[in-house]
Amino acid sequence: MQKIEIKITKVREEIASFYEPKVWHFLTLNGVALDEETLEVQWIFSRYEALDDVVIYFSKISYDTLIPSIVELIPSAIISQRELVDMFGVPVEGTEKGLYLDEDSMQKPLAGCKL
Amino acid sequence: MSKKTINIPLGSQHISLLEPVRFKFECENETIVGVDSDVGFVHRGVERACTTKFKYDAIGYVVARICGLCAITHSLSYTVAIEKLMDAQVNSKIQYLRTLLLELDRIHSHMLCLSHTAESAGFEAMFMRIMGDREDIMEIQELLTGNRIQFDYISIGGVNRDIDSQRAKEITLRLRELEKKIYGYIEEFENNWSLSLKYKGIGRLSLDEAYKFNAIGPLARASGLAIDVRNEIDYLPYKEIGFEMQLHTDGDIHARNSVRLAEILNSIAMCRNILEGLPDGDIFTKIKGKPTGEVLVRYEAPRGELMYYVKGNKTAMLDRVRIKTPTFASIPAFSHIFMGENYADAPAILASFDPCLSCTAK
Amino acid sequence: MFKKFRKKSPWILHYNAGSCNGCDIEILACLSPKYDLERFGVINTGNPKQSDIFLVTGPVTMRSRERLVELYTQMPEPKVVIAVGSCTCTGGVFRDMYNVEDGIDRYIPVDVYIPGCAASPELIIDGVVKALDILEKKTKEREKPFRLFKDFTLKDGIVSRRESALRIGDDDAKD
Repeated sequence: MQKIEIKITKVREEIASFYEPKVWHFLTLNGVALDEETLEVQWIFSRYEALDDVVIYFSKISYDTLIPSIVELIPSAIISQRELVDMFGVPVEGTEKGLYLDEDSMQKPLAGCKL
Repeated sequence: MSKKTINIPLGSQHISLLEPVRFKFECENETIVGVDSDVGFVHRGVERACTTKFKYDAIGYVVARICGLCAITHSLSYTVAIEKLMDAQVNSKIQYLRTLLLELDRIHSHMLCLSHTAESAGFEAMFMRIMGDREDIMEIQELLTGNRIQFDYISIGGVNRDIDSQRAKEITLRLRELEKKIYGYIEEFENNWSLSLKYKGIGRLSLDEAYKFNAIGPLARASGLAIDVRNEIDYLPYKEIGFEMQLHTDGDIHARNSVRLAEILNSIAMCRNILEGLPDGDIFTKIKGKPTGEVLVRYEAPRGELMYYVKGNKTAMLDRVRIKTPTFASIPAFSHIFMGENYADAPAILASFDPCLSCTAK
Repeated sequence: MFKKFRKKSPWILHYNAGSCNGCDIEILACLSPKYDLERFGVINTGNPKQSDIFLVTGPVTMRSRERLVELYTQMPEPKVVIAVGSCTCTGGVFRDMYNVEDGIDRYIPVDVYIPGCAASPELIIDGVVKALDILEKKTKEREKPFRLFKDFTLKDGIVSRRESALRIGDDDAKD
């Protein structure tokens, strides 16, 4: 497992220069709440037909930072982005909320510190 | 002259759906030109409960309740993640027993999907036939674990039940009987003319599209994309027990069925190999300590790749459990396949994906 | 005609209100040749307006609760509701999770509870057979005539409209 830190503003350039559809498999977009203010966003890739070759691009941001969308590069990222918006309440470019949560359910269930 | 489009909803409650999911098809005459899906009906909030409500040693049984069909893969992925975080090693007997149950689970899940695909194409007799034969596998699982669906077989550091030689013999016998029946299905699915009308060339996903939409599981393998996590991991001894990747090139419903049937045969062969060469040893290893650090574990569930990301902090409560389920990742590919198909084929196409919405929404 | 044969051929409506699929595939297994629930004349249907027995699985999630109540109200009387599985009865492991409503009896009245995670086919068959008896009882109850205004006059001949209005829905008014 290889972890590479990138700046949130450079996400699209970095992933565009790295991602090749026939070599890398986009796994998912993940968020980890570090504390009340910081969120670690991870873009996880794995190599086809290789033994446990996983690359994680990550970036530490605050909850009101706009996360750039990578849907133009990887169309299947849209569903992960919608989940991220719902679960952490962070804004992602061109992504609406409401994949899982309704108006009256708990908002941002995974954001911030634990109970 | 402008063309009119009609919106047709499918779900959330529908006779051909096992689970609540709503699709909204935008149709132009008979052809689907737009798809809108709502998958959040089953969202329960397991990820949050894993970090706030349950301690790390109980979560293995909680995550099994995410999905009844691939329960074993969920609890196994989580258990392996925790064992990696605590630097524990388990002996080869435990690994073989875990693999055995994983493959039995795959067989019953694939059989359920095949019967469902047959039913959606209007072949009720085939549905009954496969469902009847599927009971063999359910009984084997009951013999091995004590329950039919939610096994709770895997615990951190081992498995909960041993297998004796008499049971192993009976399981081998039953698997041999089942294998004969599977050859019968292969003949039916390959040669039945009316099924070919419903299956061949319908719901096609090309190889390039599979790459583009990051398809996984039998959906990708039916298009010729060689992705199978069993080939890419080393925590289970898949190489030793004769795993072979099953590929097909057509990418339509028929290809998906063929891939599933071939995988069932491969799984039966693997189960037989495991039962023949099962080593001696304890079924439980004591593990001390608390999980710390972060780890990413992937497994091949019946529907494709399952990913667990677990982060611990030396206490009994974990920091983060991220579950990426197979159906969740393939929803963009599903929506793409529906475009340009006939509305009448929609239930059959949907059944051939083998969607698992309770996995998707967690 | 319908009343006489309702017990012999009840139609089942199945709804998944957020379960793990375990109970749903067991219900499907019940319909398969080995357990063969259809020998009781049961047919699995997708239309709420034609069904008599409502099989529900899963703790009710936020998004599915409206559909659950809507399906229940669309079913014609008499109807029997069966809760299949531990999480349907009480919430089970999902109790107190943020998007879960802890069992269906918070929303609709339940007649038969089937425990188990996952409920085994034998239990489901037992539950359905019990539901058939309840269905028959409910059918008979509906056939009985009952007075709307039982002794609504007070001793001095003054009618209290408030009291009689209260009595209409009372249980003892039916016998």
